[in-house]
Amino acid sequence: MVDLATAQSLATAQRVCWGLSISLRALLLCLVLWRRNDRSFPFFSIYLSANLLNALVVVVSYRVWDPTSPVLYRVIWGSQLIVSCARALAVAEICRLLFAGYRGIWSLAWRVLLSSAALVLLYASLVSKHQWGFAILGVSRAVELAIAAVIVVLLVFLRHYQVVPEPTLRSLVIGFFFFSCFEVLNYTILEHWLSAYESVWNFLEVLAYMACVLVWTWALRKSLPQLVLRPALLPAYVYRQLSPEINLRLRLLDERLRQFWRAEEPRS
Amino acid sequence: MNFTFILFVLIVVALLILLAWALRKPEPRNAWRVKPASLEQPGPRHATYLSLIRQALSPADLEFLAARGSPSLARRARKERRQVALSYLKELRNDFQRLLRLAQVIASLSPEVGAAQEWERLRLSFRFSCRYQIVRAGLYSGLLVLPQLNGLSQVVSELAFRMETAMKELGERAVLAAKLASSPGGSGVDIA
Repeated sequence: MVDLATAQSLATAQRVCWGLSISLRALLLCLVLWRRNDRSFPFFSIYLSANLLNALVVVVSYRVWDPTSPVLYRVIWGSQLIVSCARALAVAEICRLLFAGYRGIWSLAWRVLLSSAALVLLYASLVSKHQWGFAILGVSRAVELAIAAVIVVLLVFLRHYQVVPEPTLRSLVIGFFFFSCFEVLNYTILEHWLSAYESVWNFLEVLAYMACVLVWTWALRKSLPQLVLRPALLPAYVYRQLSPEINLRLRLLDERLRQFWRAEEPRS
Repeated sequence: MNFTFILFVLIVVALLILLAWALRKPEPRNAWRVKPASLEQPGPRHATYLSLIRQALSPADLEFLAARGSPSLARRARKERRQVALSYLKELRNDFQRLLRLAQVIASLSPEVGAAQEWERLRLSFRFSCRYQIVRAGLYSGLLVLPQLNGLSQVVSELAFRMETAMKELGERAVLAAKLASSPGGSGVDIA
């Protein structure tokens, strides 16, 4: 538990951070619109708008309703869920842009990413506290964990196929990743130490989001007229002919290695 | 601290480790980038030294040394042979990886990719890697006798030969794509 003086100074710091955070969000949105990057990232722009709107809704709601009011609780968490969904769509958009031009592996990747997201959502929901009061917290954490897992799977996929991510897109996904990871930890701590932690968790969230907004602002400081260079694709028959052949040879090679390993006798 | 708390913290730590792995710079040895020049030499380089390696690993030589030379000379020869075998095994794996890289490049530049094929390749490369480490550990520890690497090398050579034609085409397309990309307004062209 924090004492009264600490709580007051924390509340002041929180108000300052809130103001700064809303200004930075507005600045980023203006930058995106001014540089016309909303054409390259329509869902990301929608997410930034939704997020800014959410911040304003929170500020206004605290003035209109009592902090203990159930209406305030529903309004804030409801708008938070909408923002989380917008964030998921923005991440999906960046995933698609990262694979732009790589039609074949994208057709495989989106299925893997969607399955990973569904599995993580299901798992995180199952292991959360099954109480009505924690339901929204559990769902929000599950969404954040799914976003973080999808981003990691995406980057592992890109590395596996040696696709070098475009630096702007990479910065955007890294920003999303760190914020989602932070949110997972923040929600988890809040779930377990609600009374002791509630005065700081929102403050820390605002700080983490500010860091994330700064990374995005730096990444989007320039216009991105031609974001993705499309690679020259091979004819479809090359893969159809070579892939089974390569796999057959790899199987043989693996089998030889297995025999080689088993056939050798220990040295006498 | 309860189970859920520890679980989520561990998941986040695991995700961070995976992210660091995915973002790390590729090692120069493994970084087989898609450059037109590198596509002209896709085959294994080390498998061609097989006859020399077999000569070096011949058991007859070792027996001769043990019979005619001193025990220390035979021990030194065995040690050096093991080093040769280890180096050869390592280079064979490099050849294997180069070929795997080629397969990945083909997949990434294909308009359609089979999930089953990709999954099988991933599974095989993982299994091969595990076995390779076990064999290597066996050779290091002296638990395995010097290997007969003939079959292993042959498979790699055959695969490289079969792929050469396809790679030539890939190289030509990559050169064309590079020219198109470097020309003004040439980006964003799909020549497939």
